[in-house]
Amino acid sequence: MRDRKGRPGKLKAGIKYCGGCRPEFDRIAAVKEMKEALGEAIEMVRMDDEEADFILVVTGCKTACVDVESLPLKAKKYISSLSDARRVMEELANKTKT
Amino acid sequence: MNKLMNAKEYEESLRKLKLKVYMFGKRVENVVDDPIIRPSMNAVAATYEYAHKPEHEDIMTATSHLTGKKINRFTHIHQGVDDLVKKSKMGRLLGSQTACCFQRCVGMDALNALSITTHAIDEKYGTEYNKRFLKYLGYVQENDLTCDGAMTDPKGNRSLSPAKQFDPDLFMHVVEERPDGIVVSGAKAHQTGAVNSHEVIVMPTITMREEDRDYAISFALPSDAEGITYIMGRQSCDTRKLEGLTFDRGNMFYGGHEALVVFDRVFVPWERVFMYKEYDFSTMLVEHFAAYHRQSYACKVGVGDVLIGAAQTIAEYNGAERASHVKDKIIEMNHLNETLFCGCIACAAEGHREPSGTYQNDLLLANVHKQNVTRFPYEIARIAQDIAGGLMVTCPSAADLASPEVGKWVEKYYRTRDDVPTEHRLRILRLIENITMGTAAVGYLTESMHGAGSPQAQRIMIARLVNMKHKQKAAKELCGIEKGDQVS
Repeated sequence: MRDRKGRPGKLKAGIKYCGGCRPEFDRIAAVKEMKEALGEAIEMVRMDDEEADFILVVTGCKTACVDVESLPLKAKKYISSLSDARRVMEELANKTKT
Repeated sequence: MNKLMNAKEYEESLRKLKLKVYMFGKRVENVVDDPIIRPSMNAVAATYEYAHKPEHEDIMTATSHLTGKKINRFTHIHQGVDDLVKKSKMGRLLGSQTACCFQRCVGMDALNALSITTHAIDEKYGTEYNKRFLKYLGYVQENDLTCDGAMTDPKGNRSLSPAKQFDPDLFMHVVEERPDGIVVSGAKAHQTGAVNSHEVIVMPTITMREEDRDYAISFALPSDAEGITYIMGRQSCDTRKLEGLTFDRGNMFYGGHEALVVFDRVFVPWERVFMYKEYDFSTMLVEHFAAYHRQSYACKVGVGDVLIGAAQTIAEYNGAERASHVKDKIIEMNHLNETLFCGCIACAAEGHREPSGTYQNDLLLANVHKQNVTRFPYEIARIAQDIAGGLMVTCPSAADLASPEVGKWVEKYYRTRDDVPTEHRLRILRLIENITMGTAAVGYLTESMHGAGSPQAQRIMIARLVNMKHKQKAAKELCGIEKGDQVS
């Protein structure tokens, strides 16, 4: 992904968490790790930020009871485990390189 | 403008109240900053602060069916099964973050029970209680208020009905009717979070008969209404909070409280009266409230999470975590705790819509859940004490560890590993002590036993609600006593 001048572009990810009643992994740490790994290539914003390119739905378990119906109509990437987080991180890393 | 308060705004809102609070025989002039009361205020404040955290708001907030605005879930009327399930999850979440009673569920349960009962009374008698109630609910939601749901009367002689007590005030009752409202007298006992509440919502505590009609009343008042006095209940180890912020208090941030709330000829305007002598609806209000509140004991699962975490930690500090019996005990604690979670989720998932539009949880499963809560936390606490070892109740104070004279001996002889400071070991032991026999045991154990009704109350409801004929029919058909449509 590149901007108009041909430089690698920055992605804006809107974050939506579940309530976190019995998380099977540390949701906050996973997002922090993702942010650190992707560095300047990505900006984490609130889920209702109009400029968000997509929404990262982070749920503490696979029940994923988070209310997605009230979210803006944008592409969504779901993370409900650490392996999901790593997979999405790689996907985004590849996307921002191209 | 809808207000979703944060912790600081909540604290400031409490400072504006002019509550008449007594503790240790003296008037408490500054309730918010009192060292014994403040941890309980912190716990309620967490219910406000967590509503603003992106990582928790999905559980902590809801959409008002009155205004369509975002509100704190504690002021919400359940609009579906999803709301009921999220209520249970909210209880677990906050229990696991505070390790104590955060006091705000009882008001939410009172609001939901009244939304159903006022509608039902109106249907039968053509009254306008539901209209009044919805106006009041709008006020609560708009200002994000904490309500004390006050049900438990002192009850006097348990073998006598309200009208037959030697002292009429042993159950809340109307003493005077005026053109603009009513005057009430009585008291509500064991009121959780009473002095941290903006409002008090009063309900009858038992089924009332015709002779008890003066006692069949429900209303709401500002918590600092003229004539209301609060007398704080004592908790085991409460005065440790007067020793400064030392680790001897176990939980460094949070706590709970209960109070006896006395109503001495208190005036209630008609617009805040939600039941007036309709004794035939007292059972409905009590049972709906009880079912909601029995579900609310989801919070104990969260406290259990903390206690299990503490037990695992002390096992590791002691170097005992690999012992097979310790591993098995931790498994047992988790098994019991998650069984409790099953109950509070199940009664929510099996909820249904009432004619008022409010969703009610399953009464039978809510009572089964609460019955489990009267037992399992005690067993979880027993195992935690087993794993912790006797040092939990014999270790010296934080002041001894800090002492220039004897601190070195406490440090030396209570050290178990190079990589674990003695202070850390004592801190986790104090937390286990706090939850299993200190101030937090009020909430985790005795409140689990008697809160939302003592064990026998749930057993009566279980007996009443199970479909025994259905079970007997299945048994009789399968052994050939009765003919059914079995495949053969």
